[in-house]
Amino acid sequence: MLSIVKRILGQMKNDKRSLGLLLFAPLLILTLLFFILGDSNYLPQITVVDMNEKFVTELENHATVIAVTEKPGAADYLEANGIDALIWTDTTDTHIDLLEKSSKSAAALEAIQETNKALQPSQNELIIDYVYETSGDNQLDSLGYIFLGVISFFFVFILSGMSFVRERFGQTLERMLMTPISRIDVIGGYTLGYGLLAALQSVVIILYAVYGLQLQVEGSVALCTLVMILMAFSAVSVGALVSIFANNELQLVQFIPVIIIPQIFFSGLIPIDTIPFGLGNLCYLTPIYYGCTALEMIMIQGKGFSEIWPWLLGSVVFIGVLFLANVIALKKYRRL
Amino acid sequence: MKIEICDVNKAFKQQQVLKQISLTIDTGRIFCLLGASGSGKTTLLRIMMGAIPMDDGSVTIGGTAVPNRQLLSEMGYMPQNEALYEELSVWENLKFFSGLQRLHRQKFEADAVALLQIVDMAACKNKLIRDCSGGMKKRISLAVALIHKPKLLVLDEPTVGVDPVLRRKIWLYLKQLRNEGTTILVTTHAMDEVTQCDDAALLRNGHIIARDTVKNLINQTPDGNIEELFFMDNQSEAEVASC
Repeated sequence: MLSIVKRILGQMKNDKRSLGLLLFAPLLILTLLFFILGDSNYLPQITVVDMNEKFVTELENHATVIAVTEKPGAADYLEANGIDALIWTDTTDTHIDLLEKSSKSAAALEAIQETNKALQPSQNELIIDYVYETSGDNQLDSLGYIFLGVISFFFVFILSGMSFVRERFGQTLERMLMTPISRIDVIGGYTLGYGLLAALQSVVIILYAVYGLQLQVEGSVALCTLVMILMAFSAVSVGALVSIFANNELQLVQFIPVIIIPQIFFSGLIPIDTIPFGLGNLCYLTPIYYGCTALEMIMIQGKGFSEIWPWLLGSVVFIGVLFLANVIALKKYRRL
Repeated sequence: MKIEICDVNKAFKQQQVLKQISLTIDTGRIFCLLGASGSGKTTLLRIMMGAIPMDDGSVTIGGTAVPNRQLLSEMGYMPQNEALYEELSVWENLKFFSGLQRLHRQKFEADAVALLQIVDMAACKNKLIRDCSGGMKKRISLAVALIHKPKLLVLDEPTVGVDPVLRRKIWLYLKQLRNEGTTILVTTHAMDEVTQCDDAALLRNGHIIARDTVKNLINQTPDGNIEELFFMDNQSEAEVASC
């Protein structure tokens, strides 16, 4: 088993470009995402209906303000004019109408909140209405954890799947199995070898995201790293298992959308309890669900080990099941 | 190690690749499995080593029934293509496969140096495989098969792409191994290689059409050319037609 681990690390050491791609390509993508999703200095367009002048002046520091005297119908008005928010007051409350949950709405809300903060909190309660109500309260800004998980999973999956396919077609797998080594040792060595590389990648990604891109983490960074490492190990096992069903490199690439895209569905991008027909339960079959849920709990909700352990356990069980499946699947190449 | 193959049949999907193969290979001989490409040589080797299951029949090596994992530590296998790790150096490849055989490090180092000398690769042991030529890969692949001093050596077309000088050297070494008691099984479709072997079996379309010592086989032919054996068999025309 140790020989295989050493060999995999040696192979990587001599293949600098693959190693570079493994470690730095995710960082490149994360950086790109950071700029795409990050602070874009977008000036929201906000229409105010008959509000006091102080409020309007302050709001103009944060947004493009259009003042009207009569309240239009929110839905038609927002849609037709490309306005992000409509503010109006009745006797007791201040109402904010928004079109839908999006980063633009978020920017408009932020501008209004900034204004309120500057003006001392108003006594009026803010009532926020969306024209198109969507369930869940994720805002794109808080989805960093999904991308952390998905990107790392993706790269590791390709790495381990490809090397296994290449090993089968270069017949080195057959040669390896024509020694007294047990199948458990082969899969164990493989999982551990690529798992170590994947763990290294996870650490690099998380450190870069937290300290380089200043991604907000409420809970412990170390715990995040642990979750990422577990997810990376499951990605290695998934890659190895899928490679058995791929007859060549092309087919493995074709498996990427089949395997990776459903993972993204269940990673938290779509709230699982809103998926119809109980299809949400499929999430238990996707390793990324366990990882991303745990990451969300740590990074957004600031939860600790005592609260996230069921998801960690889920990851571990998943790795175990895949490990056994791989050991059995290797029977195809040697009967013992 | 004596190999006994008994009534082995093997079919892939509809195609019957091996038909009722029975063969005995004696200890301490160089045995040549001769046949055209596609005649089932490699399939037979794979069955013998336990890589793929036979449909029926049995194989025993040194009295142990195949498949057996411990038996694999007594065998050295050199596949038809090189099956080496491109990103590793010559030395690292040897080290990896010796690790799978659980060799001790000091013993490995001494053996590996000697082996590389024999295959004439000692000077470039730190070269990466991806930078090696085809002939070099072949030699390294042979060294990998020999690293754990197996009692049974299975070589699938070992000297294809090796230059004549080195080829002679390799044959000399194989004969030396045989004299030390190693059983060597070689497949080839190059007829001139056969003369280097002690015994030979001719495989065609999944049948063994002849099996004897090389000397006797050559005596059967009209002009001493072992290739003639493939043409002397009267079945040949019919079977080629059926394909």
